[in-house]
Amino acid sequence: MKTLPLIATLLLATVTIAPGARAAEAASLTVTFKGLTARSGSILFTVVNSEDAYNDKARAVTQAILPANADTVSQTFTGLAPGRYAIKAFHDVNGDGKMGMNPFGMPTEPFAFSNKAVASMGPPNWEAAAFELKAGENIRSIDID
Amino acid sequence: MNRRQLLSAFSAVAGASILTPELAQAAAQLGQGAASGVDWQVGFADLEADVPRAPMRRIRGRAPAGLAGSLYRNGPGKFHRPGGSVDHWFDGDGLMRAFRIADGGATVEARFVDTPKRRADTAAGAVVTPGFGTAGRPGARVRNNDDVNAANIAVMPVGNEVWALWEAGSPIVMNASDLSTTGIKTLRDDLAHVPFLAHPRRDPGGDIWSLGVSGARALVWRLSPNGGVRSAEMIELPTASYIHDFTATRTHLILILQPWIQDRMVMPYNDSFTWKPDLGVKVLVLDKSDLSRRRTYELPTFFAFHYGSAWAEADGTIRFDGCFTDDPKFATLNGRALMTGAWISQPASQLGMIALHPDGRATLARTGVGAEFPRSDGRMAGTSRRYTVHAASAAPNAPLFHGVATHDWKTGASDAFDFGVHHLVEEAVFVARPGGSDELDGWLLAPSVNTRVRATELHVFDARRLSAGPLCTWRSEHVLPVSLHGVFVKG
Repeated sequence: MKTLPLIATLLLATVTIAPGARAAEAASLTVTFKGLTARSGSILFTVVNSEDAYNDKARAVTQAILPANADTVSQTFTGLAPGRYAIKAFHDVNGDGKMGMNPFGMPTEPFAFSNKAVASMGPPNWEAAAFELKAGENIRSIDID
Repeated sequence: MNRRQLLSAFSAVAGASILTPELAQAAAQLGQGAASGVDWQVGFADLEADVPRAPMRRIRGRAPAGLAGSLYRNGPGKFHRPGGSVDHWFDGDGLMRAFRIADGGATVEARFVDTPKRRADTAAGAVVTPGFGTAGRPGARVRNNDDVNAANIAVMPVGNEVWALWEAGSPIVMNASDLSTTGIKTLRDDLAHVPFLAHPRRDPGGDIWSLGVSGARALVWRLSPNGGVRSAEMIELPTASYIHDFTATRTHLILILQPWIQDRMVMPYNDSFTWKPDLGVKVLVLDKSDLSRRRTYELPTFFAFHYGSAWAEADGTIRFDGCFTDDPKFATLNGRALMTGAWISQPASQLGMIALHPDGRATLARTGVGAEFPRSDGRMAGTSRRYTVHAASAAPNAPLFHGVATHDWKTGASDAFDFGVHHLVEEAVFVARPGGSDELDGWLLAPSVNTRVRATELHVFDARRLSAGPLCTWRSEHVLPVSLHGVFVKG
C-alpha cells in the first residue's frame, strides 16, 4: 500500500496520540460533532487537558480538522492519559482556516465547546467546558451550527 | 382646581390628622381615579399563543372604497414565564400582526417571531435571555447578539417577505402571507450579526438606509429595494450614544447623538449607558455619496426616540420633526415599571421641529403638543411637508395615548380625535388614496386596545378629517398587546 499523505492521516477515523501508553491505563476519546447545517469547510477543534492549555497558555494535546460533509462527523483519539479534558471547536464554513469575525469582532462562524458549555457573551471558562476522561473508551458529543 | 391639585390638597389634609373617615374614603377613591381608573394593563398582558387569521367584526361605519392591502405591525407580545419574566417592556418576544383589508372587510392574524431567544426562554420555562432592561440568567447561551434578538420593534416589507426589525441584531425574515419565520437575515456573510436599526429610511429611488451601531462606531447599510447590500461602510461617531432612530434628506443622512452614552458593556443593556446632560446633543449630517463629508451641529440636551423624515430647503436649511423629552426616563424607569403594572407619572414627549441652518446654528422649536410615534405621508420623504401624524392625548396616569392627531406645521393647528381614556391608541400609518397626490389625501390606519371590552380594534380615518372620527372600525375577538411600529402594503 502506498504511504498516505499527511493530511489524509489526520483525517483517518482513529488517531493514536501516545502509541506507547500501556493499554490498561490509556483512554480513548471519540469526539462527535452533530447538527451541522452548513456542508462546507471543516470543523477545526482543539483538545486540551489543562486550564492553561484551554486559555491558550500551554500546548494542546492535539488539534484536528474534520471535513464538514455530513450531519454528524467524528474522530477518535487513542493513547490518551486519563484526566480532565476540554474541547474547543469552530466550523470553518468558508474554509479560510480561521474564525470569521464581523467588523465589530463578533464571530460569524459557528463555534462550540465540550460538556454543553455555552458561550455567554464570551467563551465559557475551563470549569464549564471540562469533563473527566476515564480509562477506556470515552465518547463526547458536541452540537455545533 | 384640577384633579391633581385636589389630590394634593387631600394629602395635605391627611397629614394634618384631621381627616374624617368620609374624607379619607373620598380621597382614596379620588386617588384611584387620579391614578387612572383605566385597566391599561390589558394592553401589556401576554398573548399566550399565535392568533390564526380570523375575520374582524365591523362595528362602525364602512371601509372606504380603494382601501385594500395589509397592515403589518410589530411589538413585544410575551413578557411573563413561570420561572422568571422580563423586567422591561422592550424585552418581550416579538409578535408580528397582519391586519388584511379587502372588499370592505378585515382579518387579523398574529404570530410570534421564532427567535433563538424565544426558543431558549420557552425551553427553560423562564426568561433566561438578557435584554435591554432584563439581566437574564447567568449561563444563558449568548454566542452573538442574534441570540438575544427580541425581533420586536418594527417591520419592513421586502418582496413577499416581511422582516421583523429589532435594533441591536439582524432583521428576521418572515413569510408575508402566513407570518411563518424563515430565519435570521444575514445580509452579507462577513457582516453576520451586525445590528440593523428598526427605523430604516427609504430614498425616493427605493434604496434602504439603516445603521448598525456599536459603541462609537456605526456600519452604514445601504440596501437595494429587494434587500441586497449595495454598500456597508463603517463610520466613527463622536460619542457612543444610544441610537434608536435617525433621519435623512434626499442627499444626506442625519444622526442625532444624544448624551445617553455607553461607557461599558453589561446586562441589562441599558445599564451600560450613562445620562450626561452637560454634553448636549450633536447632530451629524453625512453626505450619502461620500460619508467622509460631514457637518456637525449642536443642540441643548434632549432625549428622543423618534424623528420624522427630513428635507433640505433651497438655502440649505435642513428641517425635521421629532418627539422630545428632557431625559431617557421612559427607557430607564417606566419601561420597567409598567411590567409590574405600575406607572410613574411623567410628562409626555412633545412634538418639535429641528432646523439645521447653513450658518452652522441649530434650533429645536417645541410645540407643547404631547405626541409620540410621529408619521407622515411617505411620498413626501425628502421634500418639504406640512403635516405630521402622531399619537395624541397622553394619558396622565397611565402609559401611552388615547387619541390620534395631525399637526399642521403651517398654521400650528391640530386635527385630532380622542377615543377616551379606555383606549390605548397605537401608531397611525398613512395610506395614500389611489389616484390622489396631495399630501395626506388618503387614510390613517391605527389600532387601539379597547380596555373596556378587552379587544383590539382597527380604525380607519380620513387623514384630513380626524376630528370627524373613524370612517370605519373593526373589532377582533382577541386583545393583542399594544404594538409599536407598522407598515402598510397595498393590494
